[in-house]
Amino acid sequence: MSECIVITSGKGGVGKTTTSANLGVALALQGHRVAVVDADIGLRNLDVILGLENRIVYDLVHVIEGECRLKQALIRDKKVDTLYLLPAAQTRDKSAVSPEQMKDLINQMKEEFDYVLVDCPAGIEQGFRNSIAGADRALIVTTPEVSAIRDADRIIGLVEAAELPEPKLIINRFRQHMVDRGDMLDKDDILEILAIPLVGIIPDHEDVIISANRGKPVAFDEDSVVGEAYRRIARRINGEPDVPFIALESSGFWSNMKRWFGVSAAKGAV
Amino acid sequence: MSFFSRMFSNKGSKDDAKARLKLLLVHDQVDLTPAQMEAMKAEVIEVIGRYVEIDRDSIDFKLERSGGDVALVSNVPVRRVTARAV
Repeated sequence: MSECIVITSGKGGVGKTTTSANLGVALALQGHRVAVVDADIGLRNLDVILGLENRIVYDLVHVIEGECRLKQALIRDKKVDTLYLLPAAQTRDKSAVSPEQMKDLINQMKEEFDYVLVDCPAGIEQGFRNSIAGADRALIVTTPEVSAIRDADRIIGLVEAAELPEPKLIINRFRQHMVDRGDMLDKDDILEILAIPLVGIIPDHEDVIISANRGKPVAFDEDSVVGEAYRRIARRINGEPDVPFIALESSGFWSNMKRWFGVSAAKGAV
Repeated sequence: MSFFSRMFSNKGSKDDAKARLKLLLVHDQVDLTPAQMEAMKAEVIEVIGRYVEIDRDSIDFKLERSGGDVALVSNVPVRRVTARAV
């Protein structure tokens, strides 16, 4: 039983590509055959996050236009051999692909893979429509900011209008110490506003930037709390029941002060 | 926010974010301009005012959302009932 999941957000820069790469890695590490598809035609980046940018010969548009076979365009990951990337074209634009073509491509890929993850471009135009065309369900990525949550709300409406099942939410760049002092929306505030189920919280951590610099997604890093957060989301996506949330320690100035004075640090969970 | 104002206030910016978002999302969804909202409020109040005497200065009239549903929530204090039940 294979499945296509689109990773979308509306707003740009909230971490769709990072999430797509890391969930792809985490699902593959759990033994599934996974393909990640970069649907951001003209602005590809999933290749860079995965460290596969030097291996691209053919891309998604080549496959759709029949210039190569799907197998020729798929790039196998260097570190986990059940993970493949289908890169976006860099010199074309979104109009090169139609939703129908995308749906056919995804259906073809679902015959080969357990999971097909589609990294959706920002916006609500054709790139978005192409990305959801073949999807069985959607994950919405947001950050705890007014602009990102507003756009997430809009996207949730569009996903529901497209008659996909209820999407699930990933809250990215979460800062527990800011929540503790009342300067960041908490998980419950965001869930109250967006009213969809939560599938995970990713702490804001420099590991994400370091791993992007190296082209090696943080989900490979067994010691990283962010990597662990992604691995747990992958287990939840795969239907594993009751995957516990990790306790999140505050690391800000005030919690350090509290620790010195013997007050236990407030804890959240990812 | 300065260090001192934070020392003396327990309220963070989160509450502002939440209040602004709630209003924003309702209006994104309903797509009524502030002028249209005012016009609707004036008309509704006009109708209510034909039947009961109301305190026009303390009327609460706004769109609210809980979950995915939008509701028009209004609180109209009645001073005196002027019309008799038919």
